[in-house]
Amino acid sequence: MTDRQQRPLEEVSSEPHEMELSDEDILAAMASISGYLDITTEDFRALYHLAHQRAVARMFAHIRADRLMRWGVDPLAPDLPLDEAARLLVRGGIMAVPVADADGRVLGMLTEADFFRRLHVDSFLELILRLLEDPSGFTHRFHETTVREAMTSPAVTVPEDASFREIAAAFHQHEGRATPVVDGARRLRGLLLRRDFIGACKLPSAI
Amino acid sequence: MKTRAYFAKMRGATRGSPPRVGHAEIFWSWVGGFVGISAVSWANLASIQRYDLTLMVGSFGASAVLLYGAVRSPLAQPRNLIGGHVLSAVVGVTCRKLMHHAPWLAGAMAVATAIAIMHATRTLHPPGGATALIAVIGSPQIHDLGFFYVLVPVTLGSLILLAVALVVNNLPKSRRYPEVWL
Repeated sequence: MTDRQQRPLEEVSSEPHEMELSDEDILAAMASISGYLDITTEDFRALYHLAHQRAVARMFAHIRADRLMRWGVDPLAPDLPLDEAARLLVRGGIMAVPVADADGRVLGMLTEADFFRRLHVDSFLELILRLLEDPSGFTHRFHETTVREAMTSPAVTVPEDASFREIAAAFHQHEGRATPVVDGARRLRGLLLRRDFIGACKLPSAI
Repeated sequence: MKTRAYFAKMRGATRGSPPRVGHAEIFWSWVGGFVGISAVSWANLASIQRYDLTLMVGSFGASAVLLYGAVRSPLAQPRNLIGGHVLSAVVGVTCRKLMHHAPWLAGAMAVATAIAIMHATRTLHPPGGATALIAVIGSPQIHDLGFFYVLVPVTLGSLILLAVALVVNNLPKSRRYPEVWL
C-alpha cells in the first residue's frame, strides 16, 4: 500500500458526520418556538445525539457487505504476468481486481494505481503527457513482472457480515474503488465496489 | 477524584436556561392563571355556602403555573394533572391517618411516597407533592374530610382547572392543549 493511500488511524471515522449543536443554536431554536419549553439545552443535546444515532442506525441497517458485493469476480493469480493482468482488467471493466492464491485466499489488490506506480506517474493524463514528450524512453516491460510484485498488499478486506461502519472504515482506509469481501479464512467471496456502497447509502444530495 | 467529581457536578453542566418567552405568551399565561383560579374560587364560594365544603387547595396555585405557564410541559398534561393530584391526595390522607401521632413522619412519608407513586404511574405533577402535604399539615377542616378530600376539593378542583386550560389555552394560535391526554 502506498503512502498516498494510507491515512493515520485517528483520521479514520466511520460515523456519519454528526453536527455538534451549540447552546446558542438550541436557545435560538427554542426562542423561535412560542411557549415555555420545559427542557434544558443539555437535555436537548443529549436527546438529539441519542435520537440521531438511532436514526443513523436505522437508515443504514440494511447495509451489509454480502448484500452489496458483486459475485463471480475471478481473482488474479499472483504469478500472472502483468501485461495479461492488464488485459483482464480492461476486459472486465473493473479497475481494481483481487489477487488470490490457489485456495482463493486474498493476497492483495491489483488496481490501475498499481500500474501508474510502476510507470512512475500519478494519473492517466500524466502518462499521456510522458508518452507524448518522450515516446522512445518508455520501456517498461509488463510481461516480465508478475502480479505479485505489482499488487497492493495486504488488501483492506471486509467480512461478509460487515456493517455500514466497517465498510465505511474500509473505504476510509484506502482510496481504491473496491474492497474484497472475504470469509473467515480470508477466502474471496465477492467484490464490494465503492460506488455500490455509496449508492446503497441513498444519501441526500445536499447535506 | 470521586469527591472532586461529586462537587464539580454542583457547578452545573448547562450554559443557558430556556429563553424568556414573548409578550403574548406572558399575557396568555396571566389570563389562564386568572381565569383558572377565579373559576375554582367562585366554585369554592358556592360550595362553602351550600355544602360547607372547601374547594380551594394551595397546590392549585402551583398547578396553574404549569397548566397556563408551561402548556407544553409533560408535567402539565391532563394525565399528570388529574393523576398526580388524585394519587397524591390518597397518599396524603393515608399517611395522615396512619401516622398522625408523628406529624413530621407523616408529612415526609406523604410527599416522598407521592413522588414515588407519581413516577411509577407516569403522572408526575409537582403540585401533587403539595396536595399530599396539605392532607397532613392542613386545617382540622381538611383532616375531618378524611378520604373525601380526594374527591372534593382535589379531584373536582383539578377538573375545573383542566376545563379552563382546555378553553383558554386553545384560544391563541400559538398555543395548543393538551399535547397528550393519557
